[in-house]
Amino acid sequence: MARTVIDPLTRIEGHLRVEVEVTDGKVSDAWVTGELWRGMELILENRHPEDAFWISQRICGVCPISHSHASAQSTEQALGIKIPNNARIIRNLIEAAQYLHSHILWFYTLAALDFVNPVNALSANIADTYALAQAAGTRVADFGAVQKRLAGFVENGQFSIFSGHLGWWGVGEEKHPGYALPPELDLIATAHYLEALELQGVAAQIIAVMSGKFPHHMTSIPGGTAFVPTEQKLDDILFRFTRVKEFIDTALIPDTLAIAPFILDTASYGAGCKNFLSWGVFESADMDPYTRSLPRGFIEGAKGLSVMEVGPEMVTEDVEHAWYDSPSGLNPAKGETAAKFTSLDVNDKYSWGKAARLNGLPAEVGPLSRMLVAYVDGVPEVKKIIDDTLGVLSKAAGAKLGPEVLLSLLGRIAARNLEAKVVADWSIGWVLELVEAIKGGDSAYFVTERGSDGDGAGLWEAPRGSVGHWMSVKGGKISKYQIVAPTTWDIAPRNADGVRGPMEEALVGSPCVDAKRPLEALRIAHSFDP
Amino acid sequence: MAQEAHSALYDLLAVRGVSRRDFLKYCGSVAAALGLSETMAPQIAAAMEGAGKLKPALWINGGSCTGCTESIAQVDTPDVATIVLDYLSFNYFETIMAAGGEDAEKQIEETVAAGGYIVIYEGSVMTGQDGNTLLINGKKGTEILEHVASNAAAVIAVGSCAVDGGWVMAHPNPAEATGVQAWLQKKKIKTPVVNLPTCPVNPEWIVAMVVQLLLVADFDAAKFLKVTPMVTRTVDCKVTGESVDLLFPKGIFGQTIHDNCPRRGHFENGEFVTKLGSAEEAMNYCLYKVGCKGPQTYTNCPVVRWNSRASWCVESGAPCIGCGGLNWVDNNAPFLMRMSDMQMGGTIGNVQAGTAAAVVGGVAAAALVAHGLGMKAAGRVGDGPPMEEMKAYDRKRGAKKGGDK
Repeated sequence: MARTVIDPLTRIEGHLRVEVEVTDGKVSDAWVTGELWRGMELILENRHPEDAFWISQRICGVCPISHSHASAQSTEQALGIKIPNNARIIRNLIEAAQYLHSHILWFYTLAALDFVNPVNALSANIADTYALAQAAGTRVADFGAVQKRLAGFVENGQFSIFSGHLGWWGVGEEKHPGYALPPELDLIATAHYLEALELQGVAAQIIAVMSGKFPHHMTSIPGGTAFVPTEQKLDDILFRFTRVKEFIDTALIPDTLAIAPFILDTASYGAGCKNFLSWGVFESADMDPYTRSLPRGFIEGAKGLSVMEVGPEMVTEDVEHAWYDSPSGLNPAKGETAAKFTSLDVNDKYSWGKAARLNGLPAEVGPLSRMLVAYVDGVPEVKKIIDDTLGVLSKAAGAKLGPEVLLSLLGRIAARNLEAKVVADWSIGWVLELVEAIKGGDSAYFVTERGSDGDGAGLWEAPRGSVGHWMSVKGGKISKYQIVAPTTWDIAPRNADGVRGPMEEALVGSPCVDAKRPLEALRIAHSFDP
Repeated sequence: MAQEAHSALYDLLAVRGVSRRDFLKYCGSVAAALGLSETMAPQIAAAMEGAGKLKPALWINGGSCTGCTESIAQVDTPDVATIVLDYLSFNYFETIMAAGGEDAEKQIEETVAAGGYIVIYEGSVMTGQDGNTLLINGKKGTEILEHVASNAAAVIAVGSCAVDGGWVMAHPNPAEATGVQAWLQKKKIKTPVVNLPTCPVNPEWIVAMVVQLLLVADFDAAKFLKVTPMVTRTVDCKVTGESVDLLFPKGIFGQTIHDNCPRRGHFENGEFVTKLGSAEEAMNYCLYKVGCKGPQTYTNCPVVRWNSRASWCVESGAPCIGCGGLNWVDNNAPFLMRMSDMQMGGTIGNVQAGTAAAVVGGVAAAALVAHGLGMKAAGRVGDGPPMEEMKAYDRKRGAKKGGDK
């Protein structure tokens, strides 16, 4: 039995520590620590309810759009505001752009380096690389130039953001066996790593056009939107969505399918708590959370793959193992936040993250949860892409694989990329929906009428998972504000009964072939996009 | 230009179909952002292309949302890959570096020991709960900052959180957040700090500072400070109990948004948006009456714009919320309220009396500019006519500098 600590866990948003206990080459226990507390909820108290839209999104620089949309919804619910249809479509488009931005950035910039070995790409044969790209249906780049650039970089001896990791890739020490792609595929992935940086930026530019800038945007103000599209701006949006969709079709999806056969072992571990929550995202015209494009629902693992309805009243936050001395087990509508650091002790308190629970159970949130809920609900686009992908994986595995195989590390990785494809396809349609609405004479974007007091819960989905903002307004000011962020669900510490959070549970049982270089644990942690 | 003089940057640009002409144009925009003449472009290009050994840098995340890292990933002039592979060697960059855990920590240790590096610091300095509100590998965030800053050539504080604590230090400042310069001053660490506010930072400004440091100042911090025009804004830091003279590059933070706003003409004509998302917005009228904080916010956003020049806040129809100001949340919220209404009492939220006075200064500044004082051709920075250091109205009422205390 040995303990391995990864601190800081890099290539994520924020500060995270992962400790695993390894027994006979397998993780036998795990503890995940959120290392930062800023007190957003307390800062929002006594402010004007509208201001929460701008302030609260700054809790996360990677998914600010979703936080702001959950916040705006909670304000609108509290003050009885119904937003115009055009504002609904515009918010969906801004949200969609963030999804595409975030998923591309996650796969290539954050997660890929757990599988891709750029050093190995140096020994790729260029002609074979083009042949492989063609066979895999993935886009070509000037692979020779990329390889030359890599060679120059390695020769130069200054490794910048790759410093300290080259040993894992086989420079100066033995290569970690987890890096198993052929050199030609490593070269393709490295070329797309560079190209993805440009494309995630194009997706973010869509947000800038509709909402000023990204990260931290401006126009989805409670009441609707401040953005009034012009023909020119609609054109600016549509061509960028088209470009991003093309990259997803010709790189993200084929790359995922090309890499999957080399990491099929990841289908056998990393499932976690097997409870999956989605609040639902992408609002439909009837504003019903169960008819959102990716609908609301909860899958309780013990009851198999079936979806049940969920509401904000089922949420609680436990703090037995978190650095708070406010009461444990409160629903966020009555939630309290009293920070009290003691010491980092995995047997007692060990995280700034509260333990979010649904009906008392830990719940995984994120693309895997959304895709499973949508799949079971029968959303046609989701059903098709998952069934098609299972077909490809079955072929690679030489056995018929059902949707259960998605309850794994591989499933969590694949779900995010498949979701990017589904959202990219929908986004083009939503631009045209907006164009039709404007053509039909709809010119309402914002309503100013509002009440002064009330309670609201804005429940929505960020790219990385379920986000909820609870707000009470009294005398025109915020009297209480609570946020349950996606990462609050996934990195939850244990609750009072010692039940592990989703990431902790996903780590347990996973292999750890080299305790000094815990690559599998890194992959699992990154798969949650925490 | 001889083939061998081409850098990896040149190869990369060629791969991506960027012509030398485009590259020079880009260097011109860097020059403009720096407040230099565009005739400097060829020298900037030469410096970038001729780079040999890269200078080391550490990108440190304090109490951050990672938004400033996200922001630097949005730059395309050049893209982030070029910045981190061809401009500087980012030996530590938590969000994008390959290594984690011990392997990552070792990069900090080796870089600090060797010296001759710069630190780019994102996020607030977290002092609450005896510094345990940020805990990385058993070390407090404040200890990490002191360690990396102590031997650095310079620190660039990026984003409003790093400048003065940003939104995290807004009332009641539950985690006792402050800015980099205030904390280093308290700890008597003399490494120079240059501040680049807004939430998040605009990545073009980081590029401009890095180019300035590498090209004009030969990576010499003293020379950098000497040759880069700066403005000083003084804050009283409640966390450290000291008064701090924050240093900002003048080419970027010397003028208000209102000074350079493309909607300025509508302000002059009295044409205002009175309802968000309305027909007036479709005509790009001035957002002053729905709370725009452009008149009191000192940044060149209207010129540099955001996300590879795709747009910026006011162009998208939203009033500026003043995220480039000091203590920006307390000073500017409620965001939808006209500044002249905010001073009338009753609805000031968490704004304290001293703050309200500063806000009044901003309104006055706007009014004065409207009367033709300190006018400046829209869209120009750097080599235009000199701006007043202080608006006359503010001087009479004892404000320190401009409307933004």
